[in-house]
Amino acid sequence: MSFKEILNSGKFVVTAEVGPPKGTDIKEMLHHMEILKGKVDAVNVTDNQSAVMRICSMAVSKTAIDKGLEPIFQMTCRDRNRIGLQSDLLGASILGIKNVLCMTGDHVSAGDHKGAKPVYDVESVQLLKIVDGLNNGKDMSGNELKGSTGFFQGAVVTPEANPIEPQLIKFEKKVRAGAKFFQTQAIYDIEKFKEFMKHARKFPVKILAGFVVLKSAGMANFLNNNVPGIRVPQVLIDELKAAGKEKALDTGMNITARHIKQLKDEKICDGVHIMAIGMEDKVPLIMERAGLL
Amino acid sequence: MIITKKRDFKELMENVKNYRNFFLIGCSECATLCGTGGEPELKAMKEALEAEGKSVTGTFVAKTGCQVLGTKVELKPFKEALDKTDCIIVMSCGAGTQTAVDLYEDKAVFASNDSLFLGNMTRLQFFDERCSLCGKCILDKTGGICPITACPKGLLNGPCGGCKDGHCEISPDIKCAWVRIYERMKKLDKLQELCEVTLEAKDWSASQKPRTLVAREEKKK
Repeated sequence: MSFKEILNSGKFVVTAEVGPPKGTDIKEMLHHMEILKGKVDAVNVTDNQSAVMRICSMAVSKTAIDKGLEPIFQMTCRDRNRIGLQSDLLGASILGIKNVLCMTGDHVSAGDHKGAKPVYDVESVQLLKIVDGLNNGKDMSGNELKGSTGFFQGAVVTPEANPIEPQLIKFEKKVRAGAKFFQTQAIYDIEKFKEFMKHARKFPVKILAGFVVLKSAGMANFLNNNVPGIRVPQVLIDELKAAGKEKALDTGMNITARHIKQLKDEKICDGVHIMAIGMEDKVPLIMERAGLL
Repeated sequence: MIITKKRDFKELMENVKNYRNFFLIGCSECATLCGTGGEPELKAMKEALEAEGKSVTGTFVAKTGCQVLGTKVELKPFKEALDKTDCIIVMSCGAGTQTAVDLYEDKAVFASNDSLFLGNMTRLQFFDERCSLCGKCILDKTGGICPITACPKGLLNGPCGGCKDGHCEISPDIKCAWVRIYERMKKLDKLQELCEVTLEAKDWSASQKPRTLVAREEKKK
């Protein structure tokens, strides 16, 4: 079954992430794919994440297919204009890539080519409309395509954005623009996430809650202070502190597993997206502890 | 106004090292307000050039340096000083510099300033970029705040995931343009409009360079 079919079947889905490396040595990346294969329902392939130049997400998405994984091709609007985006979408389509995640993309000032000209010719809402158009046989200018795409398109949302209202307005615009599923920014407060879900459930879209494993209390504080839309509650920071240095990572994995289990048991959302960020080998263990394997 | 910033003097001297006699042109409009091309700055430049052993044959602050014909007329009385110069330094914006390029085909022309943006002066010599001159205004859809300019990504349909506590991901000094738009639309009781309208991708052909405009109606013969 494809990611779309699994998601629509009502099964609680799990997606993970594969970060393309900087350079042509893909041994470690292939190892990560091997670990995730058969365990997760799909893998997101990031698109020059944090505006750091790496292998393109299309090539790695194709590699994932070849290795027996289903990719979610992440596409940002930072590096390509509307011609480039549409052309790459058609290219991805003929390579067998079925899922696309439409995002705005981190600004070039966050990355390793700070002098680059950021593009943003279109943005995430408009990119979703573009995908919808290509799926219906038309390019953005209304020209007829010789063969249309068949993408299952998704988007991202930050349930703990502050202020939340403008974020929710954009969420609705993304739904109207054709987003079928959403993967969220990392969440750490299930009660707050439930509030977001109460709103999100008004719309016919699937929601996958995002997870980033906490490795230490220091990391939690760093996320709180530096990463937009992430809020680790003090009670979790205390839990990590109490665990001590040796056990902090294990405790962080337990927290993630516990949260995932709660989301699944209470049927709060449709699945989870685990962003391991270099700890892909830990994903199966987290899934096991969450009762998903 | 066009916001300008003085270029490094050493860099300018390197550019003009082969010239001896200079004429300085400032501008009474934006460059004067920016403190880059008014009377005091021309005087300081004259002294700095002379300290480098150069000669300054004349200085003049144009009324509106980007107005080619007007500046041409204004410069007529300076013919003698201009004849004696081999290099003109324009102390206004890139447009003012190119007025001199138009008027003096056989003379070297250098800019003493970098032209930065179209901005508003919010306090004395504090400047903010407000308009990108995109060619097709969308202010009527965004509560009068331009996201093409105020948002580093120029987003048209709401904030990105980089908005942190109402501030921009690229700097905590920048307030998120879309939070500003949201707050203003709320005050104007127009939130429903903000929710309902998805702005289409912008037609950038309106900013296709180089742009020209003939605003006057030609007299019918």
